[in-house]
Amino acid sequence: MAKLAYLKRIGATPAIFLVLALIPLTGIPSYQFYILERGLQNVLVVLSLVILLGYTGQLSLGQAGLVAVGAYTYGILCVNYGISPWLGLLAAPFAAGLVGLILGFPSFKLKGPFLVVNTIAFSEIVRILILNNENFTGGPFGLNRIPTIFNGLPLYYFMLVVAFLAAVGTLRLSRSYIGLAFKAIRDDEIAAESMGVHVRNYKLLAFVISSVLAGLSGVFFANMAGYLNPDSFTFNESSTYLLMVVLGGMSNAAGGILSSFAVTSLPEALRFMARRRMVVYSIILLVMLRYTKVLEIENFKRLIRRMRPVPAPASAPAVDRDEVNS
Amino acid sequence: MGFDTILQILIQGLNMGLIYALAALGISLIWNATGLFNFAQGDLLTMGGFVMLSTFAHWALPYSLAFVLTFAVMGLIGYLLSRGYFFPMFSQGLHPDIIIIGTVALTVLIQNGILLLWGPHPQRFSTPLGDRPVHLGQIIIMPYYLWNIVIVLVLVAVLQVFFKKSIIGIAMRAVAQRPITASLMGVRVNQLVALTFLLSTGLAAVAGILIAPIIPLIPEMGGPVALKAFAAVLIGGLGSFAGALIGGVIVGIAEVVFATVVVPTYKDVFIFVILIAFLLIRPRGIFSAEISEKV
Repeated sequence: MAKLAYLKRIGATPAIFLVLALIPLTGIPSYQFYILERGLQNVLVVLSLVILLGYTGQLSLGQAGLVAVGAYTYGILCVNYGISPWLGLLAAPFAAGLVGLILGFPSFKLKGPFLVVNTIAFSEIVRILILNNENFTGGPFGLNRIPTIFNGLPLYYFMLVVAFLAAVGTLRLSRSYIGLAFKAIRDDEIAAESMGVHVRNYKLLAFVISSVLAGLSGVFFANMAGYLNPDSFTFNESSTYLLMVVLGGMSNAAGGILSSFAVTSLPEALRFMARRRMVVYSIILLVMLRYTKVLEIENFKRLIRRMRPVPAPASAPAVDRDEVNS
Repeated sequence: MGFDTILQILIQGLNMGLIYALAALGISLIWNATGLFNFAQGDLLTMGGFVMLSTFAHWALPYSLAFVLTFAVMGLIGYLLSRGYFFPMFSQGLHPDIIIIGTVALTVLIQNGILLLWGPHPQRFSTPLGDRPVHLGQIIIMPYYLWNIVIVLVLVAVLQVFFKKSIIGIAMRAVAQRPITASLMGVRVNQLVALTFLLSTGLAAVAGILIAPIIPLIPEMGGPVALKAFAAVLIGGLGSFAGALIGGVIVGIAEVVFATVVVPTYKDVFIFVILIAFLLIRPRGIFSAEISEKV
């Protein structure tokens, strides 16, 4: 019984991952498979933002910079120093976490747009450093022939397992002491502080957890592409990640995972529009943002409740009819 | 380094700085009126440049007419954006972060819209003063440097008079300070906030017009320029008129000085380091505006 309650609490996430595990078995074409892989890689960044923005309320537009730190740490260690990809897999999130720790300090003082600009500046600094240190990073020519952990289908399932663990972790975090402390900070920093939450430490922790996930996503990016270029980690990437989280409901992990796949595949689905595709894509995103209130999961639940036939109005029929009509 | 070089650097830096200042001023105005930080300012700037390209370079209208037309078109776009997009979001009581992300999504739309309408090739047009450099001793001055500096200074003077003397300007400042009190005094707050959006995009458009002779227009140029404008507005003090100007000039000059004296590849990093330092040590900027209590 306790197991069932637990399943109910983590909601749709296991079902989503089950579907994700089954899709490649249907033998989809390689292009669609690639989009699926990209979506899965983005899931990790989205989860990182669910924790940072959704739980803790810290807005960041520097996520691409952290993904870049992870990807390049992995790439440089494996290519330039010949370190085993498995060690790279461990080192990259660690490096991203350290950078995230530094990135977290300004959040003590800064809020809202001030913090956002700070994260943008950080992300740009990372990009410029990558671009100009050709000996290490290959600069604008990129980093080539990166050794991979797995390839093709095994890589997909490896990513799936990691993403699933991250998703379950995110969901468990939500109800844990740490997660509640994060949410307390989001809702009212001063009240949280007075209730004994060490605001600074928890903010740093949120940044570090979030950066580790983003760094991990970077490792997967390097594994999928086998090639790294600073153009893959721009402001546009950061803003896409942010949009995914917001459209997924900000603190809703399952929603974030779904919207990660939706937003990743939307430009591909619009490919038939050729040159107009990105304009249509951005208009769709703007309209969805405009109606985020309508898209909230609660509204769908209410809709389903309304569509359900009213069970035998024995006690108070008048109230029920009101409910149906409203 | 001789005196000439220093002067040369200063003129160049001042010129870029004043352009950043215009964009920063637009951000500051919207922040004061609504508490919204407009991340699309850089792309509105680019779009202003491209509208000017059509009216001035392609349709061959006189410079002044094309200038006014560009200001009007972009102002209208800002007005419609606020009325049709941001106002409904405000009135729904959406989380402010979502509205900020709306401006971020807007950057994607504007960039790709420009790409669709004007194509990816770098484009440029000049000013009525032409492109022949003027030699003053050792100093080489491009005529558009002078043109830009004069235009911005005139514009700033006009804005000052507008905010201090005109009834609309005074009402705008009232809305920025105490929206509820302003509405009690008979100010139509929504109308004035929309006008603020109009003015802000108009200023971005002017910055776009002035930047085109210096940096060729490309659809993606908005991002890097916007980052300088963000730096300018935060260094100067968000919400302050003088802050935006001074911040812009500081950023412009710091950029050119670093590029000439140290190394050009890291000039942006230098600006961001100054910005982060300011955010950490003095988050309210040089001129902490007394009214921007929306932190």
